[in-house]
Amino acid sequence: MSQTVYWIVTILLFTAGVYLLAVMERWAVYGRLELTYPVKSWLSLLGQESVTPRKLDMVFYETAPLLFITAALLAAMVLPFGQGSPAIDLATGALFINASLAYVMVAVLMAGWAPNGVYAMVGGWRFLGQLIAYSMPIVMAITATVMRAESMALTKIVDSQQGLWNIVYQPVGFLLFYLSSMALAFLPPFDLPVAPGTLAGGVLAEFTGVRLLIFRVGRLVLVMTLSLATTVLFLGGWHGPFLPDFVWTFLKTLAVAASFFGISRFAVRIRYDSLLAWSWKYATPAALFNILWVGILLLL
Amino acid sequence: MLYLIRKSLGKTVEEPGKNVPAESGHFSPKPAWGRYHVHYYGFALLFLAFDMEMAYMYPWAVVYKELGIMALLDMGVFLMILFLGLIYTWNQGGLKRQ
Repeated sequence: MSQTVYWIVTILLFTAGVYLLAVMERWAVYGRLELTYPVKSWLSLLGQESVTPRKLDMVFYETAPLLFITAALLAAMVLPFGQGSPAIDLATGALFINASLAYVMVAVLMAGWAPNGVYAMVGGWRFLGQLIAYSMPIVMAITATVMRAESMALTKIVDSQQGLWNIVYQPVGFLLFYLSSMALAFLPPFDLPVAPGTLAGGVLAEFTGVRLLIFRVGRLVLVMTLSLATTVLFLGGWHGPFLPDFVWTFLKTLAVAASFFGISRFAVRIRYDSLLAWSWKYATPAALFNILWVGILLLL
Repeated sequence: MLYLIRKSLGKTVEEPGKNVPAESGHFSPKPAWGRYHVHYYGFALLFLAFDMEMAYMYPWAVVYKELGIMALLDMGVFLMILFLGLIYTWNQGGLKRQ
């Protein structure tokens, strides 16, 4: 398939995915299935007043939403939807995902700092703590998939799962990656920076109108990117019978996203100190064990 | 086009008290950009050590299968030393809110 067609198909599928995710989130949270909901909601945010808080840090306030959505999109660029040539086939794709997703933390912390409000500030610092909790398990889980593929290129990682998907080969790694992804996208069991009910919206409390719209869409893009990454790294990417490769990746991605929203509906928010303690007492040793497990399996 | 839609839909009206950051109806007595005690500094120090280790881990993972058992032992010793550090921190009560 030629490069241009690939780009068009990828962009269309990704946009459709983000739209469907918006519908899905509404369905999971409010129990209403409305296909036109995203259009209505986004248009209303577009027309909403843009109130800026007094005594704010203008540079951070304007940059944070854009940086947030850019970080999520950058990571999405290297993730392959189908066989052949991905959008950008980096030799260091697995590392690039990590590097770009690290900026999500920077954007959220900037959004917490900028409005000069106490709740937002607390939310921002909490997310910094959350980064310390989730980033080790997520990085080590990615490393274990790189070990199996002997390459950091994401197409090679998908190829390495031809016979057996990584979810079976390294179930511990999958579980760690899955939970860390939820923490990265601050989905409900880990929604510490926004924490509706205790922080009154946290980092997003002072954002209205277009900037809030960019944050909302950016969060959906982030969930889409992480579901796609889960598919590529652990669920065999485009491998599957009968259907074309694009369709398989798309369906698996939507299924992962649906499970994210489904779990977050029933989960209870955890405290940030418990999150940190559990991460370093259980998740990091489990991630090291996963690397050892894959290492021994590869040598056998 | 989005910009034009936005312009036509509404404009921001200046009203007193509208631009005060949310704080349960109180005016903040001082700016929020004060010194803040980060209770997770112990974790942050551990994180630094492990994050440095990840820089070695990526190239190691790529050549792992090529080098075989030697790679496993080399990284095993290195990780064991770091892991002992984690256990020491845990033992000293570093893995709880300071």
